[in-house]
Amino acid sequence: MPAAGAKCVYLLCYLACNILGVEIDDYCIAYETKCFGGPSPMIHKKKLVAKDLCLSIDKFSILSDVNLSLDAGKVMGILGPNGAGKTSLLKMLSGQRDSHGQVSWHDQSLSDYTTVGLAQQIAVVNQLNDTVFALNLQQIVRMGLLPHKSLLSKHTSEDEQQIADAIARVGLTDKSLQSFHSMSGGEQQRGLIARALVQKAALIILDEPVNHLDVYYQHQVLGLLRSLAHKLNITVVMSLHDLNLAANYCDHLCLLDKGRIVAQGDASQVLTATRLQQVFALPCHIRRDPITAAFRVDFYSPEEIETTTNLAPQQSQHA
Amino acid sequence: MHKRWAILALAAILSPLGALFFGAADLSPNELYQCVVQQCETPVNHLIFWQIRAPRVLVGFLVGAGLAVAGATLQNITRNGLADPYLFGVMSGAGLGASIATLLFDSKFAESLGLMAILPQLSFSIALPMAAFLGALFAVFLVQILASKTFGGKTEHMLLAGVAVSFLLSAISHFILFLGEPFAANKVIFWMMGSLARVEAWYAWVMLPVVTISVLTLLLFGRHMDALLLGDENAKTLGVHVTQLRILCLAICAALTACIVSYCGGIGFVGLMIPHLVRVLFGATSKVLIIGCVLLGGCFMVWVDVLARVALANQEIPIGIITAAIGSVFFLMIMSQRTR
Repeated sequence: MPAAGAKCVYLLCYLACNILGVEIDDYCIAYETKCFGGPSPMIHKKKLVAKDLCLSIDKFSILSDVNLSLDAGKVMGILGPNGAGKTSLLKMLSGQRDSHGQVSWHDQSLSDYTTVGLAQQIAVVNQLNDTVFALNLQQIVRMGLLPHKSLLSKHTSEDEQQIADAIARVGLTDKSLQSFHSMSGGEQQRGLIARALVQKAALIILDEPVNHLDVYYQHQVLGLLRSLAHKLNITVVMSLHDLNLAANYCDHLCLLDKGRIVAQGDASQVLTATRLQQVFALPCHIRRDPITAAFRVDFYSPEEIETTTNLAPQQSQHA
Repeated sequence: MHKRWAILALAAILSPLGALFFGAADLSPNELYQCVVQQCETPVNHLIFWQIRAPRVLVGFLVGAGLAVAGATLQNITRNGLADPYLFGVMSGAGLGASIATLLFDSKFAESLGLMAILPQLSFSIALPMAAFLGALFAVFLVQILASKTFGGKTEHMLLAGVAVSFLLSAISHFILFLGEPFAANKVIFWMMGSLARVEAWYAWVMLPVVTISVLTLLLFGRHMDALLLGDENAKTLGVHVTQLRILCLAICAALTACIVSYCGGIGFVGLMIPHLVRVLFGATSKVLIIGCVLLGGCFMVWVDVLARVALANQEIPIGIITAAIGSVFFLMIMSQRTR
């Protein structure tokens, strides 16, 4: 097992470096982010590529033949009905779940990254789960620094500033000392996004980030993620249920159904009435908003269609 | 917050000093002062002070600190506020190891197995904690396997496996003691209840390095342990080697518990109570929790030991009885708070 041997040696070296406070190569990206406010143009071509991903649990196929790629600095929305495999796909893309097939980031397979190396590259905001003991928001956000700290290094005032900035960015400054589990679901979600910001990763993966948010913060958070992507060249991949939000905030959409990718591309390519009707089993109507020219998808219940006589079939097709 | 820390630190310094005044023999403050600063007045005083009281107070402090830290660590890595070396099976594992060692070093039994040739070369005082450590590791290993096989690897359920293992191993160790010795009841009671009555000065020299190294190692990994509080998956995405970290922490808990159990028996519920109090008073992050547990756990045990010494005239209450009595009430309080 030469690979295992190499891993052991690497781990030992890493531990030694960590204890001695010596930084190793993996840290360079973090420094670039820290010093230049974003990954430098040198690593601009970084791409997230997934090849032939398959996953089955107890002989049930969860995902099959998933292929996708995404340029750096883009926002990708993964859409699909419940049970389509969105969460599984995100777990594979973030290296949390081993997969058949290959996911590579920066032309390097995720399996070749160390756990710490991966954490410096990819921040993950999972769906909420309970924290047991009363940690406050600041302490949760501070955990984002973990992959960038050696065992003996201390938090500097610069670190604290970063934490405060991240908390301010998600609009929670006045709650930074509040206990995390006494916060509302939306606040917790934003807190976890602040943690991802502190983690200074070049790829942020979020599982339904706007699930618990009210309309204002849905736009706030998605707007924040988009501006991070476009200004700091951070790549964002997230699963979303709201097709309108997805169409407005994502550069690239990927529609999943029963574990397969049905369509991917920009909103006009992916969101067609016939396709959505097939995937979500509901009649729908697609139009452009007269004021903002944004994409609008409206679903109807079958009863509604029956009673609405003036909705001609040709109108319900792609506008 | 700073004020609270100052009070706790002061208490941690003053408690052991205060505890020196209590005991069966009547030593006046003046005599004690002389013992500390210069020479004791009489050889008897010297013996009482340096061979009995001072070691006992020091060992008491270390026992309290060690158990509280072990409890805090177990609670954080299993994300279960009810974890404790006693309930987790670590203590009965250590007790089993220690019982086996006691039995093997009992010459008659060893002779019958033909082990007499090897054993005298081993020092009992070293072999006992080593055996307890192996026993504790065995218990931890068993809990890990049971938790992953029976409960689908859910960390939150490790405690259930721990309780089962705890009962199983203590049954075995009591049976061994019962078989091995005619007057086993005494020893069984010692392992079950725990006591600081047999403390000798050199115990402290074994415990001090174990507790110090354990606490320093845990402090080093404090941030990583914090990340575990968010769940294994989230910790992994923050770059924590979850399995390795958990094994390291469990091994440290095993070492702490083993060196305490082998000399002082099973003292329960300290590891449950102290971390809870520290969390409420100082916060839940691991570094704060561990430092708080060292200070508060130490103070607590020193005073419980004083109570054990002076509550009944001419007799000592096994310390485990007192901690269990306080602890079970505390346990009920936590449970009622949770269900409310």
